[in-house]
Amino acid sequence: MNRVINGLVIAAILAAVLASFAYLELDLAAVVGSGGPAQMGEYAARFLHPDLSVAHLRAVGQGALETLAMSGIGTILAMLLGLLLALPAAGRFGLPLQGAARLLLNALRAIPELVWAALTVLAAGLGPNAGTLALALHTAGVLGRLFAEALENAPPEPAAAIRLQGGSQVAAFCFGTLPNLWPQLLAYSLYRWENNIRMASVLGFVGAGGLGQMLYATLSLFQEAQASTVIIAMLVLVLLVDALSDVLRQRFVRA
Amino acid sequence: MSIRVQGASVRHGQVQALSALDLQIGQGERVAIIGPSGAGKSSLLHLMATAVPPSGGRLELLGEQPWVLSARARQRLRARVGLVHQAPPLPPRQRVVTAVLAGRLGQWGTLRGLLNLIHPGDIPGARAALAELGMADKLFAQCGQLSGGQLQRVGIARALYQRPEVLLTDEPVSAMDPVLADHSLALLNRHAQAHGVTLVASLHAVELALAHFPRIVGIRAGQVAFDCPAAAVSEAMLDALYANEQLAPPVASTASPQVQIPRC
Repeated sequence: MNRVINGLVIAAILAAVLASFAYLELDLAAVVGSGGPAQMGEYAARFLHPDLSVAHLRAVGQGALETLAMSGIGTILAMLLGLLLALPAAGRFGLPLQGAARLLLNALRAIPELVWAALTVLAAGLGPNAGTLALALHTAGVLGRLFAEALENAPPEPAAAIRLQGGSQVAAFCFGTLPNLWPQLLAYSLYRWENNIRMASVLGFVGAGGLGQMLYATLSLFQEAQASTVIIAMLVLVLLVDALSDVLRQRFVRA
Repeated sequence: MSIRVQGASVRHGQVQALSALDLQIGQGERVAIIGPSGAGKSSLLHLMATAVPPSGGRLELLGEQPWVLSARARQRLRARVGLVHQAPPLPPRQRVVTAVLAGRLGQWGTLRGLLNLIHPGDIPGARAALAELGMADKLFAQCGQLSGGQLQRVGIARALYQRPEVLLTDEPVSAMDPVLADHSLALLNRHAQAHGVTLVASLHAVELALAHFPRIVGIRAGQVAFDCPAAAVSEAMLDALYANEQLAPPVASTASPQVQIPRC
């Protein structure tokens, strides 16, 4: 009995695969035959000679700086906004505000960066402003939630001890809770910055500035040599940010 | 009258920690609270430190009723009362100097307090408080690197730096070696005598309590068992205080007839 069912399931999967090919009208013969691989190889080969002229390198450099700035400022704005929202979301100001803050964080997080970018391009115009805003909004949702969880898990005793000596709420938070909390917050923020540098290079596809915009333009114009330089620049940028955040982590998080 | 506890009860969930306890402690008195584990010593100290409100009865502290006051006035009152925790809850990454300076957060405004987080303002003051406890060399260490006894001394230094009028200490020397414990208790008593501070300490070690404190309060099952001068405490009173019916007398171990089969 079991074998029959297994066989039926496998047959159904096979049928679905075949039906998909038929439905999408994929012609494998056309891809493989009639010089297809040769054409693909030719296209790929054109990426092997990046354009290293001074003018283009300068443009790529500017685009890279723009991407770096977008991701950096976007992450810092998100840290501030996230911390502001994390305090009510962790239940520090009562239940109604907790619900509202969580709803807002969920909404910010549920909309992906690319969609935010499409929206902010309409609101803030083409260019890095829109990209920064898009990164800040989505990342604020992510960091706010992570910060709120870290806040809830932070031990309450040190802050309670400060309150018991007559310290104000703010003093108790800064002397009692924050010392336990900030390495965790920094680690989360660095991780999101690494994500954002990659995302910032893609956001340009919807017109939000940076390297992505250059990549989109050069690819659309079949300027493979120039596109190749942009891709190399993206790689270097990502590696650079990874190394930098690693240094920061070594110095401040694991101390 | 510095502290007046009248018929106060404290309840932690299902457990009745203190039941209708009466205790009066005058200005400048030095009192040791002793009693078996779970008798309510910590609960009494936390009640007097206004960490928990009494579920019944009254608490009067420095002539005021803390739980009748507004939140702001209560914080001002709390600034005049210091509590040393058994295991001081200090953030592991906080530097000792910051932890000690935090003692005066109640007296300072919030802004001045926060400035200390960036740059410790009164390093000589913190060093002096720590030096009395032999901890001056640990001024810039992180609290997480200290041992339990060292942490307790940082907690005491913080309370001394606070300069409270009432100093409550909950097992302040439990993690220290005998010499250090003796020294620390002597220091607390000297400080209390010199500044007219009311000192209350809960202690496990009866001999330390009898050696350092003129007045001894025995607590058992959430009530005062005896309250008398140290000289009047007798062996019989202590035996009655620490008597434990739940501890069975040691049973002579009989060789187990079962065969142990090693599994490896």
